[in-house]
Amino acid sequence: MQRGESSVTLLADILTILLNGLQQGAIYVLLAVGLSIILGTLKFVNFAHGALYLVGAYLGLFITGNVPLNDGQLAAWGIESYGIGLGFIAALIIVPIVVFVIGLLMERLVAQAFYDRPDTDQILVTFGLAIIVQELLRAMLGGNSQPFPQPSWASGPIALPVVGNFPRWRLGVIAITAVLVLGVYALVEYTDFGLIVQAGTLDGEMVRLLGIKLSRPYLVVFGIGAALAGVAGVVGGPLANVNPNIGTEQLVPAFLTVVIGGVGKIEGAVVAGLMLGTLQVLLIQTGYAAWSQVGIYALAALVLLVRPQGLLGSEVDVS
Amino acid sequence: MSDEPRDATATAAADADTEVTGGFADRWASFRDREISTVLLTVVGVAVFPFLFNNYLDGYTQLATLMLIYGIFAVGFDILLGYTGLLSFGHAVFFGGAAYAAGIFSASVSSSPLLVLLAGTVFAVLLAWIVGFLSLRRGGIYFAILTLTFGQMSFYLAASPLAFLTNGENGFTSVDIGSLLGVIDIHGGVPFPLSMLVDNMLYVFVAVMTVLSVAMANRILHSPYGTVFRAIRENERRAEFVGLDVWRYKLMAFIISAAFAGIAGSLFAIEGNYVPLQSLYWTESGRIVIMTVLGGVGSLFGPLFGAGVYLYIENIVSGFETLGPFWHLILGVVFVVAVVLFPNGIWGGIDYVRDRVVGGDDE
Repeated sequence: MQRGESSVTLLADILTILLNGLQQGAIYVLLAVGLSIILGTLKFVNFAHGALYLVGAYLGLFITGNVPLNDGQLAAWGIESYGIGLGFIAALIIVPIVVFVIGLLMERLVAQAFYDRPDTDQILVTFGLAIIVQELLRAMLGGNSQPFPQPSWASGPIALPVVGNFPRWRLGVIAITAVLVLGVYALVEYTDFGLIVQAGTLDGEMVRLLGIKLSRPYLVVFGIGAALAGVAGVVGGPLANVNPNIGTEQLVPAFLTVVIGGVGKIEGAVVAGLMLGTLQVLLIQTGYAAWSQVGIYALAALVLLVRPQGLLGSEVDVS
Repeated sequence: MSDEPRDATATAAADADTEVTGGFADRWASFRDREISTVLLTVVGVAVFPFLFNNYLDGYTQLATLMLIYGIFAVGFDILLGYTGLLSFGHAVFFGGAAYAAGIFSASVSSSPLLVLLAGTVFAVLLAWIVGFLSLRRGGIYFAILTLTFGQMSFYLAASPLAFLTNGENGFTSVDIGSLLGVIDIHGGVPFPLSMLVDNMLYVFVAVMTVLSVAMANRILHSPYGTVFRAIRENERRAEFVGLDVWRYKLMAFIISAAFAGIAGSLFAIEGNYVPLQSLYWTESGRIVIMTVLGGVGSLFGPLFGAGVYLYIENIVSGFETLGPFWHLILGVVFVVAVVLFPNGIWGGIDYVRDRVVGGDDE
């Protein structure tokens, strides 16, 4: 009897850790999938990916509700609040479309000029862009943290079997992430568009010789990657407050997820994101909260040193 | 001072032209290329800088000191980025790490500034040996990401698991700096002849370290060792084919640049009597990247200049009435413009203009 009860609580603990890990990892996965397909197909290192997340979060705030302004230039110019109050679902639909367009513009105006320049220059220019976006938002809207309200239909706890009460929104994050990532996976694996992109990744020269124009599929890949980062901002916003620093804070774990999983591998990004998320939650819930951040970096360093191409990356990817 | 090959040939061509006519440009060029003149120029530069800065640019000596400290950091970083072609996004770990090591050393072992400086620098070098050994297994973006990873790891280590040493989020506050060589109060004033130029002993100390650092960097870059660094930047594979152990040279470039970061970090702890946790965060690594690129990669003085410009915008322009709130944005824009249009930074631009002017004289 005693043993039975303790094994049930143990099971509940494990499931809670797994669910929280899934949720924590989900944001990493959303960011990493976009980053990874851009890096894998276009060979473009986008340090501004965190900035797209940031734009997504602020745009989400703008579309969802009405945020009072009490800091920054807009407030100084007499504007008291921003927002159009269309609700969360609207944000979930509009934000990816807008950020998709931003991604297209970014590919055409920035990335294209840097395809032939060294990785170093790509990192530098996108790092600079990230700073511009972040500081523009800070100067205009102020550096304060804004609460991002959870959608009313998904707030509060939900009773799950075995686990007990679990925040409804966290399940929502997991579900939205799963749908989006499966969608992108299907697009890349099972459509003609995906076939061209995959072929281009393997040997762009050959695909061009066969008479297939790659610049448009590449453009779309960039847009999709950006849109995923934008959605991540909307989905991740309600989990923590929104402020101009969240982009740079998310960028580093997102990059780790990409390289741990293997560049260009969607499955890899998923596995790596969930691994990092679960490890982080595990350390927090077992009383090692102080080590939770150190843990994910140590894991990343370990994987990269033992298996430089990433968990699911192939040897070919190693440059 | 640019070491870009095309500049070198341009200068050589200019030399050949001016040899016929002789004159000032010729003598200036030969003066410029001597080691002693580089050092002399630096000495004159750091000596008159606070006077000009304080009187004409709304500056103050403490900021001038900070500019030199970051200047040392940037000069070292350029050995790695500009000369060897490796972009590290984790150099804050050596700067901040040395600052913590120096601070802790000063509080618990000895408060002599020179020993504190030595302790911080040695710590940075040892740390760089490990981090470099692990990070250099991969090239390109993997190197950038691995250094970023180790940098963030150290930040979070210092933030909580090692808080008993580092004092966690509050930063290390018990830095204790004694007098220099037992007699000179490092935070005090300076005696008469020198006081016409500088009002603060700390600046003199940092300035001396700056001159030594520039001299050291200059010596390294003009030695055969420095030539190998450039060969690796230009074509790594070819350098390997002529029989050079590329990996070892890269590691040494990494360690050397970390040593400069260590000197700068220790001076930073001495200067502020405080080590903020922020000094380990990856945006600090980003700052040094911006300073170096802004000033001019692949030149000796460019990074010093870049550090000055960055800190000027951060501390002086940020106080301006209309531009002030946008200072960080301005920096971002200037940085992107520099990367896109002027890959050799401000110093490269100056070089370009000078070559144009000299060329105009010849015709």
